[in-house]
Amino acid sequence: MGFTSILDLRDNPNKDLPRSIFFTDLNLEQIIKEIKINWEEDNTKYYYYFPADKECEDYRREVYKDIKNVDNYSLFFSYVEKTRECREIKAYKEKVTIYIQKEVWQIIEAGKYCDALICLEKEIRNVTFHSEGLIQFREYLQEYVKSDRFIKMNAITEEIRKKLSEFRFVVTYDKDNLVLTEGTVEGTYESFLDECCPERNRNMKSPFFDTVNLTQLEQELVKIIMKKEPEFFEKIEEFHKEFPNYEDEVIHRFGSEITYYLSFNSFQRKMEDAGFSFTTPTVDEDRPMMVTELYDLALACVNMRSDKPVVANSISYEEGESIFVLTGPNQGGKTTFARSLGQMIYFCKMGVDVPAVSANIHYFKDILTHFSVEESVETGRGKLKEELRRLAPMMVESYENTFVIINELFTTAANYDACIMGRNVVEHFIKQNCRGIYVTHLRELSELGNGVVSIRAALDEHRMQNFHIIRSQADDTACAVNQVNKYKLTYDQLKERLS
Amino acid sequence: MNVFLLYQDKEWTDTKQYFDHKSITQDLGLETLFMAASKEVIYEKGNVKKIEASDLYMFDVMRKVMMVPLQSEEEIKFRQAIVKDCLNNQMMIRDLYDISAKILIDWEKLGRRTIDKVRNKNTIAGVMTEISILSLFAKGLERIKIVLDKPKEELKSAGLINLRKRLNEDFSEETERKIKKVLQDISFYQDNTDSEASLVNKPRIVFECGIKDGLKISDIKLEEVVSKERKYRGPKNPITQVQKFINAWTPGSTAAQGSRAMEEQTAALEFSVVSYIVAACSPFMKMVGSFFDQLHLQTAFYLGAVNLQHHIDRFEVATCFPTVTTKERLLFKDLKEIIMCMEQRVDAVGNTCKITDKMLLIVTGANQGGKSTFLRSIGIAQIMFQCGLMVAAESFESGIFPSFFTHFTRREDSEMNSGRLDEELGRMNQIIDNVDKHSLILLNESFATTTEKEGSVIAYDIIKALVEAGVKVLTVTHLLSFAQRVFAETNDDPNSKVTFLSAERMEDGERTYKMIQHAPELTSFGLDLYDEIIEKRIED
Repeated sequence: MGFTSILDLRDNPNKDLPRSIFFTDLNLEQIIKEIKINWEEDNTKYYYYFPADKECEDYRREVYKDIKNVDNYSLFFSYVEKTRECREIKAYKEKVTIYIQKEVWQIIEAGKYCDALICLEKEIRNVTFHSEGLIQFREYLQEYVKSDRFIKMNAITEEIRKKLSEFRFVVTYDKDNLVLTEGTVEGTYESFLDECCPERNRNMKSPFFDTVNLTQLEQELVKIIMKKEPEFFEKIEEFHKEFPNYEDEVIHRFGSEITYYLSFNSFQRKMEDAGFSFTTPTVDEDRPMMVTELYDLALACVNMRSDKPVVANSISYEEGESIFVLTGPNQGGKTTFARSLGQMIYFCKMGVDVPAVSANIHYFKDILTHFSVEESVETGRGKLKEELRRLAPMMVESYENTFVIINELFTTAANYDACIMGRNVVEHFIKQNCRGIYVTHLRELSELGNGVVSIRAALDEHRMQNFHIIRSQADDTACAVNQVNKYKLTYDQLKERLS
Repeated sequence: MNVFLLYQDKEWTDTKQYFDHKSITQDLGLETLFMAASKEVIYEKGNVKKIEASDLYMFDVMRKVMMVPLQSEEEIKFRQAIVKDCLNNQMMIRDLYDISAKILIDWEKLGRRTIDKVRNKNTIAGVMTEISILSLFAKGLERIKIVLDKPKEELKSAGLINLRKRLNEDFSEETERKIKKVLQDISFYQDNTDSEASLVNKPRIVFECGIKDGLKISDIKLEEVVSKERKYRGPKNPITQVQKFINAWTPGSTAAQGSRAMEEQTAALEFSVVSYIVAACSPFMKMVGSFFDQLHLQTAFYLGAVNLQHHIDRFEVATCFPTVTTKERLLFKDLKEIIMCMEQRVDAVGNTCKITDKMLLIVTGANQGGKSTFLRSIGIAQIMFQCGLMVAAESFESGIFPSFFTHFTRREDSEMNSGRLDEELGRMNQIIDNVDKHSLILLNESFATTTEKEGSVIAYDIIKALVEAGVKVLTVTHLLSFAQRVFAETNDDPNSKVTFLSAERMEDGERTYKMIQHAPELTSFGLDLYDEIIEKRIED
């Protein structure tokens, strides 16, 4: 089978799945919104499903590597801009009611389509692509523009468009009378206006721009041609009989799907200019999964506007380590770190770069998140019930080899109960061969061993949060420290103040 | 097209005001000065006949312009020269101000704001308004040129001479003629049918076009646009009938009248052509519009200067144009606190001073001895000097201090409480954040909201630090321990940058309200005042 799609190697069942909750929990929706900001096409649907399997992820990653080359980016971008023009023309075509005018628009549209493809083919002819996807697309395109049908279509549109631009008329409006003739003028008044005001706008808007349909006057002009060159309109008729649908399906899909890579790359470069790093992850199952200077991309999008940096963290899952249990002070960056790990897995699966300095990431089938609903009005048993209800399917269904992010479960349960429930959850996912992170206030969970690693949000020498995450045993006193600090009541501070 | 009367090379923008100009205005009482500048003095046979009501726009301009200091001697001299020209040609500056004001008012009436806001330039009413504005501007520029061409006294200032030159270049007779032709060509669009003479103004429009955008008319090229007065004839008039007959025989001819669709299209055509031509003039209009805005504002300042001169003249107070010197020097002769003159309608006591090589000036002495008045008179003169105005002195020489601060304790509400001191220190903190090597600070009874001892320490620390940082400080103070301490430290140093002034007291205790260079005393003669007010009453 030849080239079909630049995003997928085969039919992808994930396309039709309902949108997963992790998009909200990991703040991916905010990031996708930010990506969309500078992009005309709404291609966000491509961000909401994973490739079908590991091979497809690699396929995309290779394509993205090629797109990251600035020259490649700009030639595909200029192609996308041309398809935008085609879309505008299509909109005109759909609005007009006079048949002959519809046909003319269709030819102009087809002509732009041909121009864009011929130009793209020429530009990528000698480019060195490394990705299977782009190499195959190029082959497909070359075949296509060489096909007889395409060559003929291009020739006819060119001829008609050339003819169309050659018709010139002179309109004389005088003594309440309009005289229309073929011909040209010197443009005497234009020259006079140039003298009056050299920096003026030189494009006069048509008096009839506010309607897409032909006015009576314009119809009169068309009649002049009909009388003089009837064969011109015959040619237009012919084209329509032969090419009722000119657009190729695969080419059309490519034009839409390529914007997925372009939009992400344009976003990535914007972030890089603001000082945030990205890296292409390696996917090597033989080496431990690790990342250096990983940060929360959604937070970076917000901080970029105020020129604030974000805290980056490095971490690795060594041999035999499955679940990180993360404890530490409130407002210490725990949730942010958990999110950033999830984002890393997401972008890696999506085949693009991840927000870090370097990363080796293993393949996971899916991402699973469970975040406590902060604003929930529910408290006590109500909240616990709600949490358990959401947790239930995760504990029952099979989530083999999934990346799991759990954030503050069972905060309203009694400590003893919470520890037991928490342990069950952790052990369940370890048994399922999952990996992930579990953010909790329960010190006990960090001591489970057997694949569980304790990490902690750190404090600096003044016992203030510095938002760094370190491997360390949980620390019972950490939670209250920032409140104490706020009122300057630590031992050292009291000593100083009382001296 | 630039006005360039406030600066040699730029138009007015509201930037770089004195830091905390509100405090300066309040501390020095400058509102009175702005108010005087905005009131015209009408003379009759050399005597004051009446004072006009305040021109609020001018008041506002004085407040803005005076609060932005000039930065160099060159800038100051540039304005001084224009002020002198305006004093010599008072009719001219008044005309420039009045004409620009009138144009702006008419522009306003034509709907300046609504056009900017609603962007309804693309409506028929909008285009008609644009035409009226274009015509208004063309006439306005002509009048401005006439006024500048015929001053009573020969102009000497670079500012006015260059303005005249620029106007004659940028709005040359040829430009004027072209604009008039444009207005004439599109005059058919305005409703100017002369019903009595039965004339109608009708257009003739010729253009070339293509149809490449989906058979719609595109890339239009104008060949001819002209308005012609024609005799109005009814549809049944024989000549109209003949014309129709001829038209019908012209190949490709369509009657523009009679069919409603055709009438709509020719109306659209007329509108397109006229708005295209008007749009071509819009860079010109934009330029002229901001020219008049600037001209109005800038001439307001100079007319304000002329008014101020008249008000000062009423008290027979001498004025001069100050000269620039180094920042260590401050010399003046018979300097008067002009705002007090205006408010109390009296001639004030003039002070004369020759201070050289000093960065700290400490004024101490008797209550009610004129210390604060003295400090204010320097402050006011400095502000007027730094915006190019005359000052109320026989001569005045000072450095330029674009970063100028006042820190006055407002006595009426000075209570001994920490909130006040906190506020005072807060203001001082802001000043410290903003001082540089070109700063001058006037301190009037600062830190008097706490005890004399405590206040002295605060004042000593702050002022010492400021002076060491190269800031010039003039302070009127009650804090005698502070003054004594500085005196003791610097008295023997011949190179000391500090000088002390006191209110003069005659042998018999009488005050002259004059400041003399004098070592600080241990008492501020509050006892005198006590005697005068309390004891006297007891005696009586």
